[in-house]
Amino acid sequence: MSTTSQAAFVDRHEADVSERDAARVWGTSARPLPDWFQQKRSRGGGLVGAWVPIVLVGLPLAVILAIVIYPTVWMFYHAFHDTNMMSLFSGNWQPVGFANFGYVLTSDRFQDSVSNLAFYLTFGATLQVLLGTALALIIYELVRPRWLQTLVLILLVLPMMMPPSIAGTLWKFLLQANNGAINHLLINLGLMGADQRIEWFSVDLSLVSLVIADTWQWTALPLLIVYSGRVSLPPAIYEAARVDGASTWQVLTRLTLPMLREIIAIAFILRFMDAYKFVDKVYVMTSGGPAQSSELPVYIAFQKGIREFQIGEAAAYAIIIFVFAAVLITLFLQYLKRVMRHQGVTS
Amino acid sequence: MPRLELDAVCKGYAHPVLDRLSLTVDEGEFFVIVGPSGIGKTTLLRCVAGLERLDGGRVLIGGRDVTRVPPYRRGAAMTFESYALYPHLTVFENIASPLRARGMPAAELRATIEAKTTLLRIEHLLERKPHEISGGQKQRTALARTLVARPLVFLLDEPISHLDAKIRHELRRQFHTLDELRRVATLYVTHDYAEALSLGDRIGVLGHGRLEQIGRPRDIFERPCNLFVAQHLGQPTINTYACALERQDDRVLARLSGAPEIRLPVADAHRVRLEASGLGQATLGVRPQSVRVDGADPRHPLRATVDVYEALGAQGILLGRLGSLPITAITPPEARFEHGTPVTLDIASDELLYFAPDDGRNLVL
Repeated sequence: MSTTSQAAFVDRHEADVSERDAARVWGTSARPLPDWFQQKRSRGGGLVGAWVPIVLVGLPLAVILAIVIYPTVWMFYHAFHDTNMMSLFSGNWQPVGFANFGYVLTSDRFQDSVSNLAFYLTFGATLQVLLGTALALIIYELVRPRWLQTLVLILLVLPMMMPPSIAGTLWKFLLQANNGAINHLLINLGLMGADQRIEWFSVDLSLVSLVIADTWQWTALPLLIVYSGRVSLPPAIYEAARVDGASTWQVLTRLTLPMLREIIAIAFILRFMDAYKFVDKVYVMTSGGPAQSSELPVYIAFQKGIREFQIGEAAAYAIIIFVFAAVLITLFLQYLKRVMRHQGVTS
Repeated sequence: MPRLELDAVCKGYAHPVLDRLSLTVDEGEFFVIVGPSGIGKTTLLRCVAGLERLDGGRVLIGGRDVTRVPPYRRGAAMTFESYALYPHLTVFENIASPLRARGMPAAELRATIEAKTTLLRIEHLLERKPHEISGGQKQRTALARTLVARPLVFLLDEPISHLDAKIRHELRRQFHTLDELRRVATLYVTHDYAEALSLGDRIGVLGHGRLEQIGRPRDIFERPCNLFVAQHLGQPTINTYACALERQDDRVLARLSGAPEIRLPVADAHRVRLEASGLGQATLGVRPQSVRVDGADPRHPLRATVDVYEALGAQGILLGRLGSLPITAITPPEARFEHGTPVTLDIASDELLYFAPDDGRNLVL
């Protein structure tokens, strides 16, 4: 692109903007644009040279191209090839069509991991949002002194500050069957006999253990989001409700929750997005075991790709997860948009 | 029969706001509290509504002591300055909320709301959300919400102050004609003196934590009990001058301290009371409408020059200089004055007000 055509591009762009503005100010009447405005338009040029926007947009674009777009294209390409460690380094991978997808979708391992993910989404992410919402409202309404409210919030947010792998390691220790603090606590509280042990990392319970550790760490996120949403609700509305005589239950169900709807939806979206990349704790706590009982799809993709170098299969996993996540997030965003339009947040 | 009684109500935050304030509003009375902003008008309403805990005193509604009764059992309905409509609910649901809180059956609820909204001419907006209607319509929705509650006392907090002039006038007329408001006791708060004079059966001027003066609009305007009340009621603000009251022959003259050459005769009606309080120093109050601006006769004793002249259509406002003293006058609409022109002034001496220099009380009352 030559310099003159760049300038022309910038000029035309500016002209578009001013035309739009002019249309707004001057209405749709046939009134001609004033002379000074015509001159300003024909003069063209802005505060900065034409190369500035090109560079400002170009540099980040190049970075994104290198670390996001190229690997994604690479992944899509290999999802349709029989790439593994051997063929990757020798360079003679063969196209296999949808064979990778067929293999993944029909495998028991994948199907189990999907039901594990469903369990995690229901009892992990969802529970965290519900718990976080309840805690946020309880703290806001019931903890009266400001400083105490702040203190409680800080304490509840602390786990979130911990690296997930460290938190996972911590809970791995806490949940040990023989020496773990949790089992000891249950015995000392008299909730189970001194000779009993809960095998937290058994086939039945390993996923539950993961959910416990994750909930401990991440409930504070929806809590913070909902708390800040509640703080920003106008107090006059609550005073009006007091004068109207609305009961606590009516205030909660008719005012607070409906007005926090989009905030809670955002908390859901964030936790659901995290759920799809939930690898760290699985890795340090159970390694997907025992007997793959706590595997999630993304953990398998990680195993296949990084450990076993089954690039084709791992890529297929990644794409399937991506589609899953995209569908779910899209549904959420649709809902969010509807709620916001409903409440007049957007036009 | 008094519907609302305030008995020595006290309320303070970092500073005292309401100091032993007492007030009685009768059934059917429209009582307007007027005062400058930040003086505690809203606090007073919130105390009556039960949104604030009193630091002292009692609130009685319908003869019942409600000082310790929660807001919704007081029989008071309040509109808020910000309207406080529920943003996610339709106009219908907003108005329905006090009725839903009482568990009114659906059919009766709809009938009640339709009756009231027809009265306020917002019946076509019932399915809209608050963000889809105009300020005047929001205010009417808030008003309808208080009307359906059938309270013993209406509390209206600056209901029309934030609306544009045309809608303000329309709503003002509506306040005059709403039977619902005229049947019960209404406490109406505003900073706009014209609103107060227009609407109030009685007016209370709030200042320094108490009602400085309570009375009928005309009485308060013509015979303010002190300088604070005189300064707050009236637009443009009353002219005030320090002066010395002197006897000369058989007359009493007010000599302006800032311009000793200017002496204004004291009307006979005021003279007796002023002499009884011993003449001496006083603060002279001259309402802008008591000043008549004439031609430029150089022999006239009151000569002034024009600083600014605002022609407002229905009247004109002249800001001038009387000697070195600033003076504001209201002129007839057809008058025209240029900056710097000399004019002569006539001041209606029987409309002058005299206040004590120390505590500002009206010396003539």
